Amino acid sequence: MSLLIAAFGFGLVSMAVIALAAVGFTMQFGITNMINLAYGEVMIASAFFAYYLNQARVSVWIAMLGGAAFGAVFSFLINRFVYAPFQRKGTALLGMVIVSLAVSLMISNAMLPIVGYFSVAYRERFSHLLRFGDIALSVNQIVIIGLAVAVMLAVHALLRYTRLGKAMRATAANPMLARNCGIPANRVIDAVWLITGSICGLAGVVAALDSDSFTIASGATFLITALAAAVLGGAGQPYGAMIGAVIIGLVTELSAAVWAPDYKQVVAFAILVLVMVLRPQGLLAKRGALAAAG
Amino acid sequence: MNTYYAANLLIFAGVDIIACLALNLQFGVSGVVNFSFIVFQAAGAYAAAVLSMPPDTAPDYSFQIYVGGYQLPFPLPWIGGAIVGGLVALPVGVVVLRRLRADYQAIALLVTSIIANTVINNARPLLNGAAGLALVPQPLDGLVNTSTNSYQYLYIALTAISVAIVWFIAARIVNSPYGRTLRAMRENELAASALGKNSTALKMTIFVVGGAIAGLSGAILVGFLQVWAPSTWLYPETIILFAAVIVGGRGNNVGAILGALLVPVGFEEVTRLLGRMNIGPPNLIPALEWVCIGLLILGFLWFRPKGVVPEQRRVFPGALAVEEETRWVVGKRAR
Repeated sequence: MSLLIAAFGFGLVSMAVIALAAVGFTMQFGITNMINLAYGEVMIASAFFAYYLNQARVSVWIAMLGGAAFGAVFSFLINRFVYAPFQRKGTALLGMVIVSLAVSLMISNAMLPIVGYFSVAYRERFSHLLRFGDIALSVNQIVIIGLAVAVMLAVHALLRYTRLGKAMRATAANPMLARNCGIPANRVIDAVWLITGSICGLAGVVAALDSDSFTIASGATFLITALAAAVLGGAGQPYGAMIGAVIIGLVTELSAAVWAPDYKQVVAFAILVLVMVLRPQGLLAKRGALAAAG
Repeated sequence: MNTYYAANLLIFAGVDIIACLALNLQFGVSGVVNFSFIVFQAAGAYAAAVLSMPPDTAPDYSFQIYVGGYQLPFPLPWIGGAIVGGLVALPVGVVVLRRLRADYQAIALLVTSIIANTVINNARPLLNGAAGLALVPQPLDGLVNTSTNSYQYLYIALTAISVAIVWFIAARIVNSPYGRTLRAMRENELAASALGKNSTALKMTIFVVGGAIAGLSGAILVGFLQVWAPSTWLYPETIILFAAVIVGGRGNNVGAILGALLVPVGFEEVTRLLGRMNIGPPNLIPALEWVCIGLLILGFLWFRPKGVVPEQRRVFPGALAVEEETRWVVGKRAR
């Protein structure tokens, strides 16, 4: 029993990490209609950017902000110079998936000669443990949970209470109509890429910090968990992604405690398959992944 | 040595051509973006390997663990590879192709590819895990001496016969009424279903047929390489084949064959040439090649979306000229 409670503690941390990654991913898809398969590579690039800052004796928390800024600028540039031109050209959704996969391949291989294959870790990590009954969490992990909660609240506030958030929701619902109502859709989309990019960068650093050591190959893992949470919640739905993250974080950590930790990803994948068979539209969305008719 | 080099080049070319023909049937003709294509090639390779190898209790093979080990004579492992490729495609297709939207199908297949590799990599008792299978017997081993030059020519001939068979099948499919229905579904799935075409069944059949052909290509490859491991079928291998079909010209078999010769075979040769020169750190050249493959995909989708050999327009004699462009991947600017 105490094993399960301890696993629940780790589940809280996983939830936080997955929620950060999934919310950025799902907002990109929901508002700009772009399944960005390069998301995991941008995460890992930001993690490495923060790693180099950290190596230059910058505190890991400030390096985290640096990683977020890097993710924002990087995502913005990818959209400006690759995705947006292809979308303007009238590329179909399927074509965009191929484009983003090509971009993902290019990012990881352009990074490879710079960062190498080795696994690295941030220095100055606080491993001091705090105990709450059977749950033992390090200071790092508690900060990660706090950070995730703060970002979720910020996303909620942004979408609910600001003009920009309202414009984003309008653009997501119907870009043409939003444009005709005088919403500067292009500027809104730029803002979306900057905001989701910074969440993506932050998520990358947090995921790297949480997994002790990371390599360039971690990008694909990050992408799969983010995808699973986003699809489970209903793609394009920020609140759905949060729910998806809670479920996937808990289930993967509990399965790691009672079964084998090697298969965390496989469990996440099994959840994804179940969702696709039983409820392709996800928990919240009305349409989501469901095909049109036929 | 020279014979070995020629065999290497020609057999890789043959395997890539078979794979590209199969991917073209799925992606080019039917519009199914099969990002897990390499999994079916791997399934065929593993199947052919365990069908031709002795059981893992045999003295020379006891350093590996695997299921099967049936020591079947030559054509059976290749046929078995094709059958297993098709059988593996069946459950994947049932889960992915039934209800999902097209772009979700693509990402679901990508995730399937990554997870399948992770599972085989970690589950050692199944197919020897990350170390993979080694000492796979070559076809006709025991009947003829496999270490001679003439055996290399024999293998080239077997590969060439397989290419011819697959090309014949692919041509029959593309030019048949069934192929026409597949193209109709690719161009406009909603309209095709409105005309009573069952798009799920169409996708399923081409998914299984493509999986079987991919399995055959894996069987040919593993018979020549004699080793097979998870590191040989990572998901970027699928992207090379996509690059080949996009560059060559999707939707037509000649384009797929040309793409196979230009992209996978071409890059293989470039690596071999540059590998001798020792430029930069050891992983620089392969990494830059992958960047080039990405650039090739983006460049062709941007400047020449129909590829080097565009798919010919099929019009009925006497029909009115149709002006609208094919736009299922890249089309005209939306107005």
